[in-house]
Amino acid sequence: MATHVEKTGSSLIQINPSKAPIPFIILGLILLAIGGYATLQVLFKGHEAVYGVTREVPWGLLISTYAYFVITSTGLAFIGGLGHAFGFEKYSKVSKRIVVMAFVILLAGFTQIGMEIGHPIRLMIYMILSPNLSAPIVWMGVFYGIELVILAIELYLVFKPNQTAKDHETAKVVGFFALLVGVFATSNLGYVFGSLNARPFYHGIYFSTFLVISGITAGAALLMVIHNIIYGWNIPEKLNSTMNALGKIMGMGIALMAFLYLWKILSSIYTQPGDAYLSAMALIKGPLSKNFWIGELGLAVIIPFLIIVFTKAKNTKALGVAGIIFMIGLFFTRYDFVVAGQLPPMRKALEGSGVEAVNGLVQYSPSAGEWMIFALGWGLFLFLYFMAEKFLNLETDEHH
Amino acid sequence: MNEKRYAIVLDTKKCLNCKACTVACRVENEVPHEDGAYRIWVTALELQGKFPDLHQDFEPSQCQHCQNTPCESVCPTHATYKTPEGVVLVDYDKCILCKACMTACPYDARFVHEHHKAIDKCTMCYHRLAEGREPACVETCPTKVRVFGDLNDPNSQVSKLLDTNRYYRLKEDRNTNPRLYYIIK
Repeated sequence: MATHVEKTGSSLIQINPSKAPIPFIILGLILLAIGGYATLQVLFKGHEAVYGVTREVPWGLLISTYAYFVITSTGLAFIGGLGHAFGFEKYSKVSKRIVVMAFVILLAGFTQIGMEIGHPIRLMIYMILSPNLSAPIVWMGVFYGIELVILAIELYLVFKPNQTAKDHETAKVVGFFALLVGVFATSNLGYVFGSLNARPFYHGIYFSTFLVISGITAGAALLMVIHNIIYGWNIPEKLNSTMNALGKIMGMGIALMAFLYLWKILSSIYTQPGDAYLSAMALIKGPLSKNFWIGELGLAVIIPFLIIVFTKAKNTKALGVAGIIFMIGLFFTRYDFVVAGQLPPMRKALEGSGVEAVNGLVQYSPSAGEWMIFALGWGLFLFLYFMAEKFLNLETDEHH
Repeated sequence: MNEKRYAIVLDTKKCLNCKACTVACRVENEVPHEDGAYRIWVTALELQGKFPDLHQDFEPSQCQHCQNTPCESVCPTHATYKTPEGVVLVDYDKCILCKACMTACPYDARFVHEHHKAIDKCTMCYHRLAEGREPACVETCPTKVRVFGDLNDPNSQVSKLLDTNRYYRLKEDRNTNPRLYYIIK
């Protein structure tokens, strides 16, 4: 295993002369304002008045966006861990960006879960006073809480001036735990859904595996997108090998995702007439079919995979495009994952049952308020990350 | 055996679909008149037979007070809990409204109570039981569809009904072991 030593820039604060971050900082502020307005609406009117989730579909856009952000964060932490703990030097060349990005996008995820849960303060109190250790949500809180602390320590370590050999040893250990806890946190998120007795579509090991793999893929994709933006779609040659390695991770990740899709969908179809079948059919030819075929398969699998294969992951601009397309498609992946499992009704939609269904499935579409909270998460990510790009030195200078 | 084990036995053939039970429940438990806010319901099942020999059954239902409780096991704060008698309740003060219990319940028996700012559901009118009163839905039913009682008492009406009748329970394949029994006639 190769060892490496990172020499970070000499100063913590360094104003980046590039204007690339500025439009994103402004966009972030606009989205934050929109999200801030929705937050006030939720505080004054209550969740039920602002959100479109229902008795039949209690988890909607905000849980999807939470999953999108936090799983991407742990995917980034995984790639960072490969660099720090396992000496994959290609990844440690961008270690500062990885840590900052993972930290900020985790915070963005916390905005979504914070606005989704009716009593976030009470959550912190009773998760300590009377935790139910058999509840996967408790472990979700534990793992993501630890991940936040680990990333904060990593932030300190990568920005610490005059680093010593001991600091690098510490960074290796911390990087390893970021990777490990990240994998546990993400696979446990699959378990949060998998433990729901009523929702067979989520049962089994599939989602725990799929979320980890798609999260690492998302981490690679986002790194390529952000590097292209920061360097004006002209990434310096010294980072070519890093981008190439990230492109390969992404290609491999997408291939594994396609493999998992195939067997999940086929095995769900064979549960006819069960609820997992209904969920799969909601994706294939039901209300989520456009999301599935265009978003999940077209944007998050086929197009980026073809770009990576045809460019052999060597053209950094093409990798940036593939990354953007993948990250857009991945949103549909997360949304469909959360919503599809909840569409089969728990009771037949007969008179008096209280259940309304169309073609045998209950319905959900996000409200304007939910989209505005979605904007809040993106606003926080864009604002904080590009402020860091503008005002902190995110270059990792030398590697040996 | 000292502890009680409460259950409800339903003879749906007696149900008129008058919905007096749903009204009694709403009034007794101050369930708000909002979309999706209800503790119990009466489903009109599909018409059976051929014209003119048609008939229709009704299926009143509510929280099944499962012995293997999917909502309780996913609740992160122990807000959902079982009493010694097996009644599944929600401690409003501990509920964080994560809604995991709603997604876990195979009977769609839970909803967000806007006034309590917590998850709400059938409690078998637990507040009335200590006074020796039956749940409101049981008490109000004109044809006595529901019978409430203690399964641990062999002389209770529920025990006798289950001894002398065939019955089914909803979604038994989910291994929830419900405490609502539907008599087959």
